[in-house]
Amino acid sequence: MRHLSILIHYFSQYLKARLEYKGDLLIAVFTSFSATVASFGFLYILFHRVSSLQGWKFEELIFIYGFSLTCLGFFNVLSLNLYEFGERYIMEGRFDQVLLRPLHSLFQILFEAFRIESLQEVLTGLVALGYAGWKLRLQPTVIEVFLFPLMVVCGVVIYLSIFIILTSVSFWFEDRIGIIPPVYNMIPFGRYPTTIYNVFLQFLLSWIIPFAFASFYPTTLFLDRREFQPYFYLVPLVAAVSGTMALLVWNRGVKSYQSTGN
Amino acid sequence: MSLIEVRNLSKIFKTFDRKEGVWGGIQNLFVRQYRDLKAVDAISFSIDQGEMVGYIGANGAGKSTTIKMLTGILVPTSGAIKVGGYIPFRDRNSYTRTIGVVFGQRTQLWWDIAVVESFQLLKKIYNVSDKDYQERLETFDQVLNLKRLLHTPVRKLSLGQRMRCDLAASLLHNPMILFLDEPTIGLDVVAKENVRQFLRRVNQELKVTVLLTTHDLSDIEELCRRIMIIDKGRLLFDGALAELRERLACKSQVLLELKEPGKVNPAALGLNSDIEFKQLDEMRCQFIFDKRIVPSAELIKIVVNSLPVRDVVLEDTTIEEIVREIYSRGGIE
Repeated sequence: MRHLSILIHYFSQYLKARLEYKGDLLIAVFTSFSATVASFGFLYILFHRVSSLQGWKFEELIFIYGFSLTCLGFFNVLSLNLYEFGERYIMEGRFDQVLLRPLHSLFQILFEAFRIESLQEVLTGLVALGYAGWKLRLQPTVIEVFLFPLMVVCGVVIYLSIFIILTSVSFWFEDRIGIIPPVYNMIPFGRYPTTIYNVFLQFLLSWIIPFAFASFYPTTLFLDRREFQPYFYLVPLVAAVSGTMALLVWNRGVKSYQSTGN
Repeated sequence: MSLIEVRNLSKIFKTFDRKEGVWGGIQNLFVRQYRDLKAVDAISFSIDQGEMVGYIGANGAGKSTTIKMLTGILVPTSGAIKVGGYIPFRDRNSYTRTIGVVFGQRTQLWWDIAVVESFQLLKKIYNVSDKDYQERLETFDQVLNLKRLLHTPVRKLSLGQRMRCDLAASLLHNPMILFLDEPTIGLDVVAKENVRQFLRRVNQELKVTVLLTTHDLSDIEELCRRIMIIDKGRLLFDGALAELRERLACKSQVLLELKEPGKVNPAALGLNSDIEFKQLDEMRCQFIFDKRIVPSAELIKIVVNSLPVRDVVLEDTTIEEIVREIYSRGGIE
């Protein structure tokens, strides 16, 4: 409860600071939205030429994409500090202050700054989900309605865990190795049915960097693709395992934090 | 049982030599030659509740590293720290509620938002009640004059103003102990005095135990009865400042600038034979003396009365000189 109220406080403070430059925020939202629209455009053009992708219809792919975008949107809102962590917190030594407060360091890093414009992605994702669901005449059961938000949470946790682990590298290596952008660019691979990939990519996306568990697999139950059911039920487990791993690696990193000279 | 107990505390940093250039950068990733750097080397001390202790040393002596271990930021390589029953780095979550920390070089306030909003965030994080918050803010305002600053974003504050706000922020949750790392660094005389006055009150009226690092000896003289000197990671001295003065010949110097070029004959001044004299050039000369034998006022009086003096500068012993003196004597005891 205390954490939730602090989180709200952090968010409103940050929003206030961002709103001081309204024009800047507006442009950021617009840019972010254009990028989202462009990626939908890609799907649209693709399906202009082919009517289905290995038995998957356009609307089904929109559904998967919408789900992925919703999770990714939440992730993008929270991950702002992860990208700048090495520079802002480790090299500049700002992490000292984080460690002096009676809150878990990861909580502070995730919730001290927000990429507010990415809330647009959450919204667009939900709209896409609604549109695709309506077109596909999906009739979700009561259980599915309850499972949906759980799946979104799992997706966000999986995205966050992967990038928390990658960010933790900065605790040991001050040099910017630039491992985050290439991995980030792999996220779109998770948005397609894994069966369109070769075995190597399937394995990579499921078990090494489990993006498929944050976008494709969680949608299969709602889309009535029974053949993927075992994967669907593994989603919470994958989220729990990657979340635990991320926390362990992070805590390990905090222990080897060397701070800076004064 | 003391409030702060430190036993055989050491911190070794692993550093490596960075190679230059693009190729060097690539090599850095794969082949690294690590060197051990002993920042703090087996120090032990204890501090009782209510004390105000000055922790001094030259740059790079290990002061900040000690403070960072005491505050739980760094994990010690070996040795034990216990503060108020907590092991700082392990019990971080509950421990940090009981301490306040100020780094002179860095602010703990949020850069972009108004000071008062930072305070409110801290109030929330530390679970401070509205009543306590108001009361404490009122108390701090009396000495630090905060009211005018509260609605300014931190980035627009001067260094002195920022330090006042940081001091208040570190005490909002009513900590038992206040750690300060170079609280007066870069401040002008008035701001320094402000900070010192506040710290004295915090220690005497709020009964907060204070440990501060500085390399400004006048901070120590005005604030602390007890000092600890650290050099190259080792504790050189732990005791009363007066005691240190007693035991070491603390040389002060007076620099004179003459009104017109000329040669000064020291013998004609009738000075105590312990005073060392040097003519630096035709305009300037220097007296080196021991305050315990010759009070500086006396020396200056004689000099000003018998020589055509334009300017007098009195320079006290610096930390570096004290440390050098300790070494040249091969220790204190």
